[in-house]
Amino acid sequence: MPLSEQGRRRLLRCSEILYLFLIAFSFYLLILSRTGEARTVWEVLHPAFIPVLFVASSILIPILLTSEKTAYKLLFIIVHSILIHSFFSVIFPAGDLSGQQGALGKTRLIYDNVVLHGADPLPFRALQSEIFKRFGGANFQASLSVIFARMLSIDVIWVHLFLVPVLWGVFVPIAAFLTTKALSEDDKVSVLSGLLISVFPYATYFGAISVPQSLGYIFFFYSLYFMLKYLTSNDSKTTALMLAFSFFALLAHYLTGVMAFSLLFLTIAFKAYASEKKTSSKIARLTLAISIIISAILLPLSLIYLRFFGAFQIFFTLDKFYELPRGDIIGLFLLGELIHGFDFKTILLIVIGPAIALLWMMYLLYRFKRNSTAKFRVHMYFLFTAFLIILIDYRILKVFMKGVEELFNEERLWVFRDFIAAPFVALAIFAGISSLKAFLKARSPPNLSIDSSKTIRACSKVPSKRVVPRVFGLLFTGLLFTSTVFFPLLLAGWMTTSLSAAYPQVAPLQTTWYELEAVKYIEEKTNEKYVVICDVWIMYAGEMIVGFGNPSAYYFESSKTGHDLLVNMTREPSPQWMLSAMNYTNTTVAYFIVSEPRLGTDAFNNVVSKARDTLTVFHVTGDGKLYVFSYRKG
Amino acid sequence: MFQLSKVETLIAQDQKFLFTLASYVTILVIYINLNAFQYAVLGIVASILYFLINGIFLGHAFFDKEDTFFRLMFGGLLLIMLLGFVGWLAVIIYNLDATRFTVVLFVVTTICSLSNRKVKYRNAT
Repeated sequence: MPLSEQGRRRLLRCSEILYLFLIAFSFYLLILSRTGEARTVWEVLHPAFIPVLFVASSILIPILLTSEKTAYKLLFIIVHSILIHSFFSVIFPAGDLSGQQGALGKTRLIYDNVVLHGADPLPFRALQSEIFKRFGGANFQASLSVIFARMLSIDVIWVHLFLVPVLWGVFVPIAAFLTTKALSEDDKVSVLSGLLISVFPYATYFGAISVPQSLGYIFFFYSLYFMLKYLTSNDSKTTALMLAFSFFALLAHYLTGVMAFSLLFLTIAFKAYASEKKTSSKIARLTLAISIIISAILLPLSLIYLRFFGAFQIFFTLDKFYELPRGDIIGLFLLGELIHGFDFKTILLIVIGPAIALLWMMYLLYRFKRNSTAKFRVHMYFLFTAFLIILIDYRILKVFMKGVEELFNEERLWVFRDFIAAPFVALAIFAGISSLKAFLKARSPPNLSIDSSKTIRACSKVPSKRVVPRVFGLLFTGLLFTSTVFFPLLLAGWMTTSLSAAYPQVAPLQTTWYELEAVKYIEEKTNEKYVVICDVWIMYAGEMIVGFGNPSAYYFESSKTGHDLLVNMTREPSPQWMLSAMNYTNTTVAYFIVSEPRLGTDAFNNVVSKARDTLTVFHVTGDGKLYVFSYRKG
Repeated sequence: MFQLSKVETLIAQDQKFLFTLASYVTILVIYINLNAFQYAVLGIVASILYFLINGIFLGHAFFDKEDTFFRLMFGGLLLIMLLGFVGWLAVIIYNLDATRFTVVLFVVTTICSLSNRKVKYRNAT
């Protein structure tokens, strides 16, 4: 019996409630996984988490294909998105051990009013480098975190850790939805795109860490949407918003800003081409071709001219051609960084989305070539060109340039590529599902029905009046199973498996609870300027609590002097090195922190037993795994 | 969603600057809470009100042709951008202590309210 409209609504509500329950349960399991000492999220993630997330995703996908309100569907996706981007922030006490901790260190300086005129406490060098520093994304992100922390009256560490996961979780699926809608005007495929952005591991990773660039990606994605709107609109608001989002992408991070302005230039060129091609086709084509080349080389050239700001020495080179074997060069061209030590599964998960998108783009362009009046033709051409520009730029940066890695990893360009790919992956999958349903509908026997909401149901009874060949029945059932069960399960499986490539499988020990506790204890108990001799891991923990390069609470490792002092202290702990550190930083009290997991059990026991003889034990924490020694001048 | 659209219309109309004043009151609450009590619950409630009012102002000003959901979302995003930008200006000019932070909120509310007014008058004429 076919379900009535009311019965269908009831089934939909039940599915939604079940989905929300499973997502809430997933959050609970994630909180249960929280630990103070781990290397990767996979070590401690609750064993039920991934299965529950998979089931929740499997329920969500059919909901997205129903006629439910778009706003509700997007809200379901947003909850899912926040969940999958919160692993680091929920599980680790100080988030991922990466650039986000450095960003927190700079944010802390502003939060505690330690510095004036920005988060970078380095001394004044030149006017242009000062301008670069002020425009550096750290200040924008720090000011946003500080504002939220003061509004909510909670410590800035919490705001910082959840800033990007929440903003990304909320705004990136909406941006994917809007971008896809600008291409297809179909709500169902657009919401699917909002969900499918989570199958791109690199994008998921950047949505999980609070670094300025992640904010830049969000603004870039919206600027891309307004660029698509601008192509067919003369509305001044659209132009203003396109420019505003591009500017904010630049304010958040250099790379996202330059990419946004490259594509902005491309958008203007496409629009000019559309209006000029009727009068002078050849000149319009030539201008467009030159504009595409300029858009492609804008990023590499801008990196070269960064030296004007005294910031980075980046230059073109053919060194890699001479240094690397030919196989590596070809590998770099084809797969980029993926040729270095990634397993097959990770490579597949990273490249499959963009590969599907590229193939589908080419197919659509082939179709549009035969139909010059197609509605979204210009959008498709624009996005295809933008996609190619990103692929080309990545290879230029990776193979023909040196020094880029001082500013950022070239692989960060993959996120731009993924943003453009997501709508096309959704379009391809949706087209696959639709074709299958159309096929089934056209060939369905009289008592096998396909309902109006495109959810296919089959009556289980074998027809009595009309004899359907057994082979056809089996084929039909197989296709039916594929469209209704297999596709949602496949997509849910893809999304869940992508997390294994998004979150690292191998990592150093993350900042532990007792490292954080030790630096907090020192900060609370010391009323004067102090210096700490420690390893780089404690330095990160210290910077998160007292700020990056705080002159009143100096964590000593990153410089050569600091490193030498640490080596000397671990070899022969004595007041002599503590005095050197105090003289170097003009302080009267020094601390030495040593922890067992970082140093190794034997070396740790050795250092602790020697240090006990000459230094005062200031604090012991982590069940004896971390010792803080102190020494006071005079 | 129906209820939300009613609330949105009411706030966007901003009769006699009632909701602009309400936004200024939330700033005062946030400032007092920051300097005296530091209750997270109070901060969260005041912040939600602040975001609701000013997000609706901005959504109404720039995205009046969109659906309610997208208007709210865009309004929220623009508000975050504006807060970040004015905060960034405060940071590079001097710093973002409790007083300057309050000035930032005040400036942002004023910009949001004026943007909303401008659209309101333009639609009226």
